[in-house]
Amino acid sequence: MQNIELTKRAETVNELLARYGVKFGIYKNNEFKEQLFPFDTIPRIIRKDEFAYLEKGLKQRVMALNCFIRDIYGEKKIIRDKVVPEEFVYISSGYLAPCDGVVPPRGIYTHIAGIDLVQGRNDEWYVLEDNLRVPSGASYPMIAREICRKSSPVTFETYHVEDNRYYAKLLRRAMDYVNTGGHTVILTPGRYNAAYFEHSYFAEKTGAHLATGSELMVEDDYLYFVDYSGRREKVGAVYRRISDEYLDPMTFNEESVIGIPHIYDVYRKGHVALLNAPGNGVADDKGIYYFVPKMVRYYLGEEPILQNAPTYLPYYEEDMRYVLEHFDDLVLKDVAEAGGYGVVFADRMTAQQKADFIALLKREPRRFIAQEVIDFKDIDIVENASRVPRKADLRAFVLMADEPIVWKSGLTRFSRDPDSFIVNSSQGGGFKDTWVLSQ
Amino acid sequence: MGIISVENLDRLFWLGRYSERVYTSARLFADSFDRMIDMDMDNYAAFCRQLDIPNIYSSREDFCSRYISDENDPNSIYSNLMRAYDNAIVLRNEIGSEPITYIQLSVYDMKKSKVSRAPLVGLQKVEDNILAFWGIVDDMIENENIRNVIKVGKRIERLDLYGRLQVNRESIVREVHRLAGRIARTNLHYDEKNLEELKKLAEEEQIDYDRVVTLVDTLRKD
Repeated sequence: MQNIELTKRAETVNELLARYGVKFGIYKNNEFKEQLFPFDTIPRIIRKDEFAYLEKGLKQRVMALNCFIRDIYGEKKIIRDKVVPEEFVYISSGYLAPCDGVVPPRGIYTHIAGIDLVQGRNDEWYVLEDNLRVPSGASYPMIAREICRKSSPVTFETYHVEDNRYYAKLLRRAMDYVNTGGHTVILTPGRYNAAYFEHSYFAEKTGAHLATGSELMVEDDYLYFVDYSGRREKVGAVYRRISDEYLDPMTFNEESVIGIPHIYDVYRKGHVALLNAPGNGVADDKGIYYFVPKMVRYYLGEEPILQNAPTYLPYYEEDMRYVLEHFDDLVLKDVAEAGGYGVVFADRMTAQQKADFIALLKREPRRFIAQEVIDFKDIDIVENASRVPRKADLRAFVLMADEPIVWKSGLTRFSRDPDSFIVNSSQGGGFKDTWVLSQ
Repeated sequence: MGIISVENLDRLFWLGRYSERVYTSARLFADSFDRMIDMDMDNYAAFCRQLDIPNIYSSREDFCSRYISDENDPNSIYSNLMRAYDNAIVLRNEIGSEPITYIQLSVYDMKKSKVSRAPLVGLQKVEDNILAFWGIVDDMIENENIRNVIKVGKRIERLDLYGRLQVNRESIVREVHRLAGRIARTNLHYDEKNLEELKKLAEEEQIDYDRVVTLVDTLRKD
């Protein structure tokens, strides 16, 4: 598929993306800037059978993660059975004690999961990270597809590609399924959030109401949207795009000014659904990631379909030995960091940096995981009119209603720097559409 | 969506005001710019007086550059456009993506006119985009209250500018009638006495322009 007509329409596509304001926000030197998200017209293409395999594995993984969260905030069997050490759970920054014993509407915690995968040169897919709190990015390939179809209809006549624009319907379905009765709201921290475009775009496309914390209030154990005339409308589901700690200053971070006081009490009483459930961070912690294949076996009694990147926990003596012996071959990740930060490739450190890092690792073994560096399969992008290979990952989205559904697309992010593995938009990465072939 | 927060009601109103301010000030600037090419080099001083904005400009060139595109000049067309943009960008849920694109396109065209030696060409595109924005507001926004609030903002701004510029009586009369018809169809809180006085003023032979501006600026009660 070297001659996709769409790739000749890059200028038109980018003009339309600019027209529609497809941007993300970034803070540089304490100043907020909006930037267009660089788009490359060469799509990532996934064969139908290959996607069927991914779909099966993703559903399995998200179901196991959902079971894990329910268990951790419920019976804690996986800890009692010593499959996951309790210290990994309780010292995780994502574990929230107030969530203990709270069961969300219909028992769903992971309504919208973003699972980051990479494909190795051996064509094997590896899961790099599970994102179960507020994974973002689905809006970009969704609007990009709309624009690509407009710019090059012949491309979509020629290739049989699954239409990805139904994501809004999936999202609406996930929100409606758990709605406890009332309006559906997308809660945004506001205009100056990096993903504000996505928040407002999803609100428009799903017909949900976009609100900031100041527009919502709690009274008599229910959540209300207050309109300009002072009229209150009951809210039954909140797709919140703010972090757990800022959600409710009465329960979590008391300094939060973007949350809604007492919303967590409403949720605890089952009077509103929060998507995703607070406390999910315990399952997408980089340290817990190591245990996900074990969760699949433990909860579902199945062999995991998708594999993790080979990962070591320096917390375990045996793994620490391995990490020290093979230090130069590994990538080290700080479990508390996200967005491509806190990731260091050992072979790029100076001797002094290595010594310092190893000392830190020995002092705080729980803080890091170590992974084999996967030899990613490169994907071509167009740069200065030539095709050049770059590292790329795939964020697949799994939405949960009465059953998990994998969106037949995904956000492919690529590094624009030929020497970098970091694909995050906040660090200069771009994105591609992800085609899942329908035939 | 049928429910609108008080913040967004306010933003809709100001989106209407700033989009009108950009449109009318671009047109006024075009007239003034034309005179300054070869007829009245210092016309910008009169322009500032008329619009009641401080004359902070050192020369015709300085005015032509800064009044169009200086982001640090709060009275520049660019600053007003960015205020329209800042309101529009948080109203996607209320007005939809398509209307926002015309404000976005105005921003791009304004940036292009910044580097042009023929700025009226770029400003013409900005005006075209604002006109398209108002057209699409009528065509695509189903919620009548949302449409009306934007238009009330637009009408109030236009009357305010017309009052300051002391335009002809017919224009004032027309705009007062348009405003009175529109504001009654919104749920905005406004001072009915002010509106009545405005209607009476429009019936007079000699328009009291200062009073028009005062009444218009204090019409909204929120």
